[in-house]
Amino acid sequence: MQTTPSYLARNEFLIRRLHSLSGLVPVGAYMCVHLLTNASVLDSSATFQRAVHQIHSLGNLLPLVEWVFIFIPILFHGVIGVVIIRGGLPNYGSYKYTSNLRYTLQRATGMIAFVFIVWHVFHMHGWFHFEAWKTNVAEPLRGAQFSPYNAASSLGVAMAGVVYPLLYATGILSCVYHLANGIWTMGITWGVWVSPAAQKRADHVCIAFGIALAVVGLSALGGAVRLANDEGRRDDAEKVEARMWKAKTDSGEVDLDAGDHKRAEHLRKHTAPK
Amino acid sequence: MAKQRVMVIGGGLAGLAASMKLAELGIDVDLMSLTPAKRSHSVCAQGGINSCNDQTRQLGDSEWKHFDDTVYGGDFLQHQPPVKEMTDWAPKVIELMDRLGVTFNRTQEGFIDRRRFGGTLYKRTAFAGATTGQQLLYALDEQVRRWESDGKVTKYEFWDFLGPVLDENGVCLGCVAQDLVTMEIRSFRADAVVLATGGCGLIYGRSTMSMVCTGSAVSRSFQAGARYGNGEFIQVHPTAIPGADKLRLMSESARGEGGRVWVPRTSQDPRDPKNIPEKERYYFLEERYPEYGNLVPRDIATREIFDTCVNGGLSVEAGRQCVYLDLTHIDADELTRKLGGILSIYEKFQGVDPRFTPMKIFPAVHYSMGGLWADYERTAEGGLQPGSPRNQVTDIPNLYAIGECDYQYHGGNRLGANSLLSCIFSGLFVAPGLENLLKSQSSSAADQDASLYEGAVRQHQEQHQALLKRPVGKENPYLIHQELGDLMTKAATVVRRNDQLEAAYSACIELHERAQKCSLSDTGNWTNQNVVFTKALLDMFPLAKSILKGALQRDECRGAHFKPGFKMPSLTGEDAGDRRREAEAWCDRFDANNEKWLKSTVATWNDTEPDIDYEDVDTSLITPRPRLYGLAGAEVIERVWRERQAAKADRPGGNRATKSGETATAGAATS
Amino acid sequence: MAATSSNGHATPDAFEVRILRQAGPGQHSYWERHRVKYEHDMNVISVLQRIAANTKTVEGKSVAPVAWDCNCLEEVCGACTMAINGHVRQACSALVDHLLEDNPNEITLEPMTKFPALRDLCVDRGRLFRSLQRVKAWVPVDSYYDLGPGPKQSREEQEAAYPLSECMSCGCCMEACPQYMKVELTQNEGENDADFETRQQEAYDGAFLGAAAISQAVLFNANPTGKNIAGERLDALMGEGGIQVCGNAQNCVAVCPKEIPLTTSIACAGRSTTRHALKSWFDR
Repeated sequence: MQTTPSYLARNEFLIRRLHSLSGLVPVGAYMCVHLLTNASVLDSSATFQRAVHQIHSLGNLLPLVEWVFIFIPILFHGVIGVVIIRGGLPNYGSYKYTSNLRYTLQRATGMIAFVFIVWHVFHMHGWFHFEAWKTNVAEPLRGAQFSPYNAASSLGVAMAGVVYPLLYATGILSCVYHLANGIWTMGITWGVWVSPAAQKRADHVCIAFGIALAVVGLSALGGAVRLANDEGRRDDAEKVEARMWKAKTDSGEVDLDAGDHKRAEHLRKHTAPK
Repeated sequence: MAKQRVMVIGGGLAGLAASMKLAELGIDVDLMSLTPAKRSHSVCAQGGINSCNDQTRQLGDSEWKHFDDTVYGGDFLQHQPPVKEMTDWAPKVIELMDRLGVTFNRTQEGFIDRRRFGGTLYKRTAFAGATTGQQLLYALDEQVRRWESDGKVTKYEFWDFLGPVLDENGVCLGCVAQDLVTMEIRSFRADAVVLATGGCGLIYGRSTMSMVCTGSAVSRSFQAGARYGNGEFIQVHPTAIPGADKLRLMSESARGEGGRVWVPRTSQDPRDPKNIPEKERYYFLEERYPEYGNLVPRDIATREIFDTCVNGGLSVEAGRQCVYLDLTHIDADELTRKLGGILSIYEKFQGVDPRFTPMKIFPAVHYSMGGLWADYERTAEGGLQPGSPRNQVTDIPNLYAIGECDYQYHGGNRLGANSLLSCIFSGLFVAPGLENLLKSQSSSAADQDASLYEGAVRQHQEQHQALLKRPVGKENPYLIHQELGDLMTKAATVVRRNDQLEAAYSACIELHERAQKCSLSDTGNWTNQNVVFTKALLDMFPLAKSILKGALQRDECRGAHFKPGFKMPSLTGEDAGDRRREAEAWCDRFDANNEKWLKSTVATWNDTEPDIDYEDVDTSLITPRPRLYGLAGAEVIERVWRERQAAKADRPGGNRATKSGETATAGAATS
Repeated sequence: MAATSSNGHATPDAFEVRILRQAGPGQHSYWERHRVKYEHDMNVISVLQRIAANTKTVEGKSVAPVAWDCNCLEEVCGACTMAINGHVRQACSALVDHLLEDNPNEITLEPMTKFPALRDLCVDRGRLFRSLQRVKAWVPVDSYYDLGPGPKQSREEQEAAYPLSECMSCGCCMEACPQYMKVELTQNEGENDADFETRQQEAYDGAFLGAAAISQAVLFNANPTGKNIAGERLDALMGEGGIQVCGNAQNCVAVCPKEIPLTTSIACAGRSTTRHALKSWFDR
């Protein structure tokens, strides 16, 4: 009377390992790149815009890349993560060990990170690129705020107020903790660091990494908040972005019509040198 | 014929060894135990397991010498063929356990490391840290789990053996048992039942034994007609940690690794022991027994510690009896490596680190040498006949006893690190005998009429119901148990006096009567530990009475049974002539005493009391010789005794004193 | 009685013990208070023994004695595991003096929560032993005949294996593990014992192994003979409820009374399963 376990049960090991792996590559790796890119706004609006240009140089391939390498892995990691969390029963109340606190935080930050990322992508990116969605759904709901060819200035606008920066700070720190601690537990899961001494050493490295990444992430946020709170700086940014837009379109590197919807609403068309 | 099966009661070393060997021989096994097998009392054994080995062999050791040490340590009270067989098997047993993955400590080169234990001059003892019993038990438990996985062994854990099922001819055809969770009473059909239920230390209230060591299964078989041998021989371990709920063992290996026993020369010296200078310490074992030092056999160590505290008034503490067991002169890391397990027990339960502070210890009841009488078949060479169904069988046909619950291997006293050996050996050795027994049977228990089993179950159910229906507010079983423990500890441990034993025997009878009136505080029928305990308590009395009566009647000193009133004297003469004369008289008395008392005590239960009988001991292989530890004039006595032996050997038809490797020619199987 | 404990603290004449009781499986649990006279060198076992000998609650009500499991009382058999002051451990090595220092005047006793309740402090740890079968925690020897000594082993190997072989299957690591979830089935109407047993084992087999069983797999995979079936053990570790369920909370190693390096074992098993998975993937 042996019953066959379900597909998910039979492949539990594989799924958990893929979950673990996806947290590092591509999700974690992407996050590092993303935070570093964003931190470049501290250098100047132009540096930031250049970085964004680079990403958007993929043109029509971008959505494919985004979905395959970023969104789907994040969704996979998040959904499986929720299943894993539902399979556990945190007990830090009874067993107050540091590692148990970290376990509990890993789950809490995972949940926060998942909600944050879903919202963050909506807020900045809008989830989908087609115009109907953007104008009828995303923008009315304060989504799709980021305009890739007005990278710094639109970012500044999107980050106005106190609530957004706070939400972002929470989200970024959750993601950073989740990644840094996740790398440490991943090393145990995959058997990279085995002995207690090795686990300790790896722990130090992960803590250092986490702190560094948190600094990068908060710097990026700081850069955005600075733009949000300084109209002059935003105007300057707009000017730089307009110049760069002109250069891109003049050189033909960016197709005018195809790229136009990636500009901020109020700048579209009328500043375009048609 | 329906498929035959064997029921093994008890999941300690002996029961597991028997189960796995039976399974290997293709026999279906039911294994019943009060606890999960992995939690059996064998886990408490710390020190090690003995065998002659390649290293000791080159120093002159042999299986024969191990045999000799064992019977000498047991004061010659054991039948020699089973002991010889066991010591012959010892190296093989250790090799097997090594193959099964026991994590024996290793030498630099990767061989099994050995240590020296009490009662021998050779480093015979293999050990796994300080949890050898646990390691050995786990290895066997794992093998049985493997067979369980294959469906060859069925475990009944948390079941209490209530008694054997006997047919009209008194042949055992199964047993009745009770589920400790559901309280269901049912019968089990079996073509042979093997008892491997260990010792009966709980009769003494607090001892070094585990809470399941009530002796109830043995007592129930005793009351069903099996005889009980050498009950009065109870080993008191010299070194235990006194505790409120139990006396925890401090292994002999602590002394084996160099631990020294001492007391301050000034009684109850208030100073920190580490501040007491060497010359103000009394290393009484080393002073009294220069050859063996701290590693004298257990009975001697026990008595000396007892004597130093009780008679010498040198106990370390005023309120309770204890002496120092000191390891602080040994490197702490080495101690951790070799004795980590037992030292952490001390630290855990006393809150003091014994690597830096001397431990406080006192003797405690530790092992029952006695047990169910068991048969054996002797070969011409003086060993056991392998595969004989007579080996280990009790007086009840098809009911076997192995391990601590049989009386065979340790005589008047057990050598350290021999118990694990006897358990595994008897478990392995009984299996082929059972195989032949099963082959010789024409019908199987499965074919028996159901009425036999139904009747047995009904009888136990009625007893059970009667117990539950006892009127409330009468005797309290837990308090009766305490009283029994106090009574037994006072009268029948280290030092025994006839007046005390007589008084204890009548007190025991009275207590037994009171115990019959115990009322239960739990009358339910689900996990009722109260009724299970009360049953076990009632069954302690037949054994307690056998111990007391056996001790009362045995007017001599032998092994663990020490009656100062019948002590062999030291020589007091001043000049050589006097001493010689005294030694002659001493040897005469020794011979006369052996003539009278070198006999196994065998008790039969007559429904209210044990009837004590005596049985000759097969000493055909090694002639009994006096144990002269610490006696004044020992060398003179030994000389006289040797001369007499030589004279006897020269006489035609006389008994030959056998030497290493020789085969005895005299003496037939007495069993 | 002017008593002081071993470390000089004043001790009470008596203290209260609060016990979470339950009459049987599926029944409601409730707290019951007992008052116990203080004695020197008491542990929780002797407290329970005193309560058994006099089963009156603080309110003076006579009740059935508390059921609990114990055997060796030396912390080597693993039987008397329970939650004491909210923390899973063995009752025998829980010294009253220490407990009262942490929490004066009261000691709480609760059964383990990850195993099916039987009665009061007794639980059914059958799943734990079943998990040892799942990982084939044994050395697959040919026979028990005398075939000479086992393979020679270095001192280092012994010293690595010994701590793992000290595991007494007490269940502390499972109780404290946030990933180890209780599996408790009830026998259906008309279902016979054997069918129920099979159903229960199947449920156990799909649930998490727990740190102890993973560690045993590591122990036997390191044994010179045991490693002959290392692949089978790794397959078991990678099966449903295998090592992947571990969430690295590392409570197991923190609560283990024998201080077994369980998280090292888990990491070790992680490495072996990684290798084994890749190997089986490419060799397929």
